[in-house]
Amino acid sequence: MRLHLQELTAGAPPGRSVTEPKPGVPPKAPKAIPAVSRHRLWLALLAGFSGLLLLMAAAGTQALAVLGHMNDADAQLLQRFKERSRLLSQIRSQIYLSGTLVRDSILAPAPASVEAQMERLKVSERDTAQAIRDYERGADREERVPFQQLASEVQEYWKVLDSTLASAHYKSVKEKYAFFYDQLVPRRTAMLQIADRVGALDEAALGRGQEQFSRQFDRFRLASITTLAIALLGGLLVTALTTMYVVRLARESELRLEEASSARASLQELSARLVRAQEDERRALSRELHDEVSQAFSAILMETDNLLDLEQPPDVRARLMSVRGLATRGVDVTRNMSLLLRPSMLDDFGLIPALRWLARDAARRTGLRVQVDAPEAADDLPEEHKTCIFRIVQEALRNVARHAQARSVQITVYNEANGVSVSIQDDGAGFDTRWVRGLGLLGMEERVRHVGGRFAIDSQPGRGTALRADLPIAQVLSGENRNGHDPDSARG
Amino acid sequence: MDTIRILLADDHNVMRDGLRMLLERQPGFEVVAEAADGLEAVRRTEEQTPDVVVMDIAMPTLNGIEATRRITSSMPVTSVVILSMHYDESYVLRSLKAGAKGYLLKDSAKADLINAIRAVHEGRSFLSPRISRILQDDYLEQLNARGVEDSYDLLTAREREILQLVAEGKTNKEIAGVLNISPYTIDTHRAHILQKLNLHSAPELILYAVRKGLIS
Repeated sequence: MRLHLQELTAGAPPGRSVTEPKPGVPPKAPKAIPAVSRHRLWLALLAGFSGLLLLMAAAGTQALAVLGHMNDADAQLLQRFKERSRLLSQIRSQIYLSGTLVRDSILAPAPASVEAQMERLKVSERDTAQAIRDYERGADREERVPFQQLASEVQEYWKVLDSTLASAHYKSVKEKYAFFYDQLVPRRTAMLQIADRVGALDEAALGRGQEQFSRQFDRFRLASITTLAIALLGGLLVTALTTMYVVRLARESELRLEEASSARASLQELSARLVRAQEDERRALSRELHDEVSQAFSAILMETDNLLDLEQPPDVRARLMSVRGLATRGVDVTRNMSLLLRPSMLDDFGLIPALRWLARDAARRTGLRVQVDAPEAADDLPEEHKTCIFRIVQEALRNVARHAQARSVQITVYNEANGVSVSIQDDGAGFDTRWVRGLGLLGMEERVRHVGGRFAIDSQPGRGTALRADLPIAQVLSGENRNGHDPDSARG
Repeated sequence: MDTIRILLADDHNVMRDGLRMLLERQPGFEVVAEAADGLEAVRRTEEQTPDVVVMDIAMPTLNGIEATRRITSSMPVTSVVILSMHYDESYVLRSLKAGAKGYLLKDSAKADLINAIRAVHEGRSFLSPRISRILQDDYLEQLNARGVEDSYDLLTAREREILQLVAEGKTNKEIAGVLNISPYTIDTHRAHILQKLNLHSAPELILYAVRKGLIS
């Protein structure tokens, strides 16, 4: 029995030891971005983006303003040029007209028509003077000197003309012609030349204006290109920074997720190992209590009985009776403890006998009517599945006894094509599955998850409760792991 | 009266010593051998052919139930009494199915062992009164809970007589002698009883009788 015992007390195989560190877990935690730096980064990003937007808005507004201004200036320049050209040609034509009028008056000196021609000359003179004044107002600096020349020439011309015409009656036709050709024509020609010079100057001014305009446009283009380049560079920078930050965040969150899921996995693994370790411990303890402690109490009982059979003084007999009582209690207590920890039928005969015992035990304790419906063949199960179902049913019966106020419980084990299912149904008070999550339900769910199964609760207040667990059995593993009801494994 | 030759199989020395002391004080009892494990129990039984084997269940190498199965199949003259700590019916039923004639609890050994050995030696069955009581209580509780009719009421008077005698461990031949009818008729009656009570073997019949309080 010593060997037997040692093997039992060895308990959990070392591979399942809870304290054994798992290699590779936990993974190195990613360097988190501290809150302060994150704050600063937000500020920087905000400043970057808003600066960029402001720059672009300012550049756009400025460009519009410059374009408008340049358009205005261009139009003004052209307008002015046209106006001056018109004035100049008016002056020219008035001069021509005056020449024609003078010649006509010389050639046809009818006194009536001379008066009319004088009138027309006056008008022409006035118009010319008006045009000269108008022109002078907008004259450039370069134009001023030739223009004043022109003005004084014109004034002179009109003076000569006036005096000529005033004295026309008294001169001969020949003299008149001579005067016309010698005095007036050269003057008119000089004037026209000056007018041409002024016109040329005006055209040059237009050219200069257009040149200036084109320089302005060049400057504007340069400024625009510079602004665009700055905006592009800034945008590139901000985009690069943002992209880097986003990538970093994404990587970080990915790592976090990995970390979290691996932590969850190792937590589940740990909890599964804890459950297994607990079960192994319980089995070892139960066996120890039953095979050793309880047997020792029985032996004491037997020996006491043997002593009581012999002649004994009354006080010794009384002591022996007391020992006997203690030993009897010891037997009962250890037997109950052993069953409570893990009933031997589960390991000796399998799941179904253990469930039947559980049902009888619950019925005895609580007066519940507990029925087990299970094919004996359903007992060909892997160790973990047996334990899982047994513990679920045990917990469920405890719940029913404590909370359900039920009269009967139906426990059913089904053999499925690739697994085994168990359902526990009571006719008790039921509960709202949305709110109630205690009652050891989480523990049951956890156990079922450890063997890769599904756990379902169906309950409503007043309608009883049905629990169901579906446990798959891996076909490959089932051969080596199975541990059906086999009298060979029975222990005392 | 012949001496009853006994073999003690238990892996606890103290237990075996105590049992030996208890039994040897009784006239007509002789402990001819001891065994500390299941295989030894089978071997010693084959060597000594004792009348009765007192067998623990929890033993190394071979448990008591399997050792019982081997002994009763190869040594029909030897009767086995299981002496165990277990009082659950799964152990009782499996022991009886393996061929044991008696089932005792260790904590009541002093009171019951002598009677049990005598009973099985005479070909009768014997269960610890405590076991009988537990079985009966459970049965009654189940009947009450289910609220169904007791299937015992389905049996005829003759079938009830035969059930009683079968449960007491009598062979068909003995029953035929008592009731003065043919052993074949008894076979037919037994089949009917099993069918009506939804049982499948003689040990289940015995358990049923115990639960009903027909025998103890």
